[in-house]
Amino acid sequence: MDSKKAAQIIVQGLKKAGVNFVATLPDLKIVELIRAVDKDPDIKHVPLCREEEGVGICAGACLTGKKTALLMQNGGLLNSCNGLTTTCLQFQIPILLLVYYAGDLGDRGFTTVGSVTEPVLEGLGIRTYVLRRTEGVEETLVGAQILAEDSKKPVAVLLTKSVLGVK
Amino acid sequence: MMQRYDYLKAIAGDVGDALVVSAGWAAREWQALRSGDGNFRPRTLGLASSIALGIALGLPHRKVIVIDGDGAFLMNLCGLPTIAWQNPPNLIHLLFDNQCYEASGATETATVMGTDAVALVKGAGYKHACWVKSPKKFREEFLKAWKRSKTSFIAARVEQGQPVLPPIRVDELENLGPSDHRRG
Repeated sequence: MDSKKAAQIIVQGLKKAGVNFVATLPDLKIVELIRAVDKDPDIKHVPLCREEEGVGICAGACLTGKKTALLMQNGGLLNSCNGLTTTCLQFQIPILLLVYYAGDLGDRGFTTVGSVTEPVLEGLGIRTYVLRRTEGVEETLVGAQILAEDSKKPVAVLLTKSVLGVK
Repeated sequence: MMQRYDYLKAIAGDVGDALVVSAGWAAREWQALRSGDGNFRPRTLGLASSIALGIALGLPHRKVIVIDGDGAFLMNLCGLPTIAWQNPPNLIHLLFDNQCYEASGATETATVMGTDAVALVKGAGYKHACWVKSPKKFREEFLKAWKRSKTSFIAARVEQGQPVLPPIRVDELENLGPSDHRRG
């Protein structure tokens, strides 16, 4: 599957989940997904300068009733830890974290960030699901959003190269 | 120079049902001036302006005010271009610059040597930004910003300190104090 088609499938999954507000910061591996989010008329797209501000923006939008996702690389997740803790966890604000999993299986150059990603999420008490197969996209995104709302906490979905259709 | 409370007092009667995001000691002052569940007091230093942006985008028919301090403002400089890019017409961004991290023991911030917040927001892309030097002028600019309905920034240099105020007794999750009642 190419990255454009994969991006469409993920955006459709987000829409099925009810997500209508997405803040993003690029990684080369998620650029088609960001383009697809940007083009979608049902999703408000907010491009960021640093990921942690996206935690604030998504949290604020969430307080107004939007269903929000923060799309970024796992390095950006590390940038966001204080905001996630002292805004989202503190005030029980359920944002979806869509995180490109750099340093995952078969990746070169990002092994350090890859190796700390899941332990950091676990340390934050944020439930985490790794998406590897296109067939699981809709079920996982819809389920993650329900889980976020029901637990009143962020939920992380880690996007791997295979599900993004990138090498 | 006056204290932040003198400035906030000047506009407390002019904010209608605006949603107000403020952290630190400013939140306590604002709560004393206008209590209610339209006030949100975040806990993450720097994130108030980004939270206010999210609220402003989510509720475009409501005015949203963020009360920043210089420490918080400097911590989230990267949020300024994002706000300017989104350019929400219903957002009024206020900054009170006391040149220190007052709530954290009053060590100096970089504004003490001249970092200019208005220049920074203008550089980030804000179209409407100014310094004011008195509560009276502040209220004038605030009322202009309210009518303008474009992202606006008003900053004032203030003295440290605040009057003796009651502590905020608000359930953080419900965002309600003992004397507040949910409408409707």
